[in-house]
Amino acid sequence: MKKIVLSLAVVTLIVTSAFSPIGKLVSKTGHVNFFSHTAIEDITANNYKVVSTLETSTGDIIYSVPMQSFEFAKAKMQQHFNSAKFLDTKQFPKAKFKGTITNLSDIDFGTDGTYTANVTGDLSIHGVSNTVTENATITVSGGQVTVDVVMDITLADYKIAFKKGKPSTNIAKTVKATIKTVYK
Amino acid sequence: MNKKLKIVLIIIGIGILIGGGTFLYVFFQPHRDVQATKTDFKLETKQIVDEYLKDATAANEKYLQEEGESKVIEVTGIVSEISDDFNQQKVVLLKGMNENAGVSCTFTSETNKNANSLKVGDKVTIKGVIRSGAGYDEDMELYEDVIMEKCDLVKK
Repeated sequence: MKKIVLSLAVVTLIVTSAFSPIGKLVSKTGHVNFFSHTAIEDITANNYKVVSTLETSTGDIIYSVPMQSFEFAKAKMQQHFNSAKFLDTKQFPKAKFKGTITNLSDIDFGTDGTYTANVTGDLSIHGVSNTVTENATITVSGGQVTVDVVMDITLADYKIAFKKGKPSTNIAKTVKATIKTVYK
Repeated sequence: MNKKLKIVLIIIGIGILIGGGTFLYVFFQPHRDVQATKTDFKLETKQIVDEYLKDATAANEKYLQEEGESKVIEVTGIVSEISDDFNQQKVVLLKGMNENAGVSCTFTSETNKNANSLKVGDKVTIKGVIRSGAGYDEDMELYEDVIMEKCDLVKK
């Protein structure tokens, strides 16, 4: 009887460790949307090449975004975005966020559910780093973890500015980045 | 007087046509057709990955272009993983068995079907535009792959 209980316990342990997302999770399937709204026009771009890691034991969460993978509807906008005057993606090919979940005890990665995580860390874009704090939504479902976060990015904070001409009036001073990553 | 007015009107008319045409051309300028663009480099996966791991700055200088229209590359390697991204595009990872990083090739809605026949272990050549290089990320503690997009299989 003892043996059966023991082997059951071992089996349960193996099964739970295989299915519950614990440790360092990696996401190579994600989506970053960039959205800028002004009275003149709305500009949006999509990027499906974000890579992210989430360490469930420490709450460390990191995103790496290849900037040249942002796709715009208009070729000219994409060129402006990448140019030395704007994001200078040849010089700074990746944007990065390195942060930590500060309320880790509120999140149970082993139980299905939706959790609100307070994330704080350094966002570097265009070679400039700033501390940002945002709320992220963590969804645990059948052992899969999804993180959704929206970051408001004030372009001037990252020394991104069009001084004159059409882009200076048509691009919002603060843009919205919506990030979704699915981990395994 | 009438003749002069006519000439002035014609000149203004031509001016409007040229201006408007230029505006429309720039406004509706299509995206670069990567597959129709001449290939800049033909490489094995290991070559480009090693170039990046050795000196990422020099490799970026060589492969990335301002305004985002970076080099068009044909890369040959072994298929190590096939997946789909959130945009329903096929992603084929070319990576050697003992390599730390590889080349991740994202197809398009038009070229996806050409990736369907691929199997892990196949040796293939894929053409696409490079978006970013490979490297070891100390914070994530993992190797990032070279990223290519707008990819298609090169028929031999």
